[in-house]
Amino acid sequence: MTTPPAHRSNPGFWLSAAVGWAVIAYGVWGLFHHHLDTRPANYARFFIGGALIHDLLVAPVVLLAGIGVSRLVPGRAKAPVQAGLIVSGCVLLYAYPLIRGFGHAAHNPSSLPHNYTLNVAVVLLAVWLVAAVVVLARFRSAAPKRSPSPNRGGRCH
Amino acid sequence: MSVADDHAGERPRRSPIGVIGGVVGDLTTDADLPLCQGAYRSPLRDERLAAWLGASLGVLFGICFVTGLYSHLHQHPVSWLAVPARPAGLYRLTQGLHVAAGIASMPVLAAKLWVVWPRFASSPPVKRAGHAIERVGLFPLVAGGIFMVFSGLANIAQWYPWRFAFPAAHFWTAWIVMGALVAHVGAKWAISGRALRRARNRPALSEADPDLGSVAEPDHDGLTRRGFLLTIGGAAATLTAVTVGQTVRPLRHLALLAPRDSQSGPQGRPVNRSAANAGVLAASTSPDYRLRVEGRGVTTPLSLTLAEVRSLPAHEATLPIACVEGWSYSARWRGVRVRDLLTMAGAPAGAQVHVESLEADSPYRVTPLDRSQAHDRDTLLATHLDGAPLGPDHGAPLRLIGPGRPGVNQTKWVTRVVVL
Repeated sequence: MTTPPAHRSNPGFWLSAAVGWAVIAYGVWGLFHHHLDTRPANYARFFIGGALIHDLLVAPVVLLAGIGVSRLVPGRAKAPVQAGLIVSGCVLLYAYPLIRGFGHAAHNPSSLPHNYTLNVAVVLLAVWLVAAVVVLARFRSAAPKRSPSPNRGGRCH
Repeated sequence: MSVADDHAGERPRRSPIGVIGGVVGDLTTDADLPLCQGAYRSPLRDERLAAWLGASLGVLFGICFVTGLYSHLHQHPVSWLAVPARPAGLYRLTQGLHVAAGIASMPVLAAKLWVVWPRFASSPPVKRAGHAIERVGLFPLVAGGIFMVFSGLANIAQWYPWRFAFPAAHFWTAWIVMGALVAHVGAKWAISGRALRRARNRPALSEADPDLGSVAEPDHDGLTRRGFLLTIGGAAATLTAVTVGQTVRPLRHLALLAPRDSQSGPQGRPVNRSAANAGVLAASTSPDYRLRVEGRGVTTPLSLTLAEVRSLPAHEATLPIACVEGWSYSARWRGVRVRDLLTMAGAPAGAQVHVESLEADSPYRVTPLDRSQAHDRDTLLATHLDGAPLGPDHGAPLRLIGPGRPGVNQTKWVTRVVVL
């Protein structure tokens, strides 16, 4: 399992770093050069804020959810529940502005044409139906054996 | 084996970082990771999975970057690189791909960040100069990646919680992310390459490293690495399935979460800006409305009423409208050819033109038509959509429609054609 650290002295590393940072510098230059459009102060709040929200809010919530699932969900249901939660979380994150209707424009009949709350519910229902079927299948396949110990649920090969 | 070489003698649980690690728990069995091996029990956070997710994300971001540059070139043309008017559906394809790849990248980015997240607090934070450069580069990569996906998704939902102009911010941040990606790929090339080449059926962790394996494996009965990768693929596929129908017609009925539907809106077609919202209702229906054709080298400037425009020879073309926000539809348009108008006005052969809208305050009030676009047989000032007179929301009295152009450049409420 041990993997020695990448050789950061190799020329590829420094070449890509030089090219990469030059391109980053070009992007930063563009942001400031077009400051009337990009409004750097307001922009920075979103650029830094996104990373902070991820690291301080989203990541811990996901970790806690993971710990919760690992403690509360029985072995054979664990994987499908984890998968269901991951897909549901992605759908909800994507659909949040649609559900809230932030972008709805009056006087425009084509603006956000669907009932997104209902449609998200339909999508999530489908996701959890699939997860439920998988859970049932896993318990069924386990049924003839003696009941699995909680820590060795994933024994099947 | 594993962690001992680099961090012999460390008692991670007693260091502050170790405490954080302990709280976070359940993190990784990655042997290259210095933090609390015993506490991080999920075998999902390994380098092969990180490499797979990273490579997928690289492909998706790469698609977004190339198609985004192409879209930018349409909206900010440069003299030394003309964008082709043909094939007519090219922009529909590239921009549909741009938005679809952007949507699909959301779960992949989230998964990638989750897998490598414990490294954020690795100890010691910096080992040598190259490592410092690599780590500093993670900020533009991560913050930029999150910014691109968030701003893109908000934009297609037409949600603007910021004060900057979306296209400029999205465009310049794309360079930051691509630069950071180049540096990151260079730094991870060897390690990712090795991880991706690793034998499929490599020995179980308990065989390779009995100490670590005895902690990590018995507890793990959740998603396997493959299951996790399939789940992330499934999440990306789900989001794609419920949105891509806004541009791929056969999947229209699956597009439950698309911000637009190719068949709802005025005249059964979507628009981004209605006539009322553009503030052009009065001017576009006024009897004083004229279409003017004028500019450099024009021998007989034109000033035509709508009735006069309609009396000119009409041409019909089936062309897509492809919005930068990823929705599109193909329709039958009828109107007068721009090149016929230019000929009537005695404009010089091969003239380039600007088309101007009645709209007062829009960044897209004026759009350019280069030589090939202005003289294409299907570039029209349309009066009819799918056989019915164009409604005000679709740009009546006249809208520009040409092959291979972004929707924002298919100017509505056209009132002036200026030869440059």
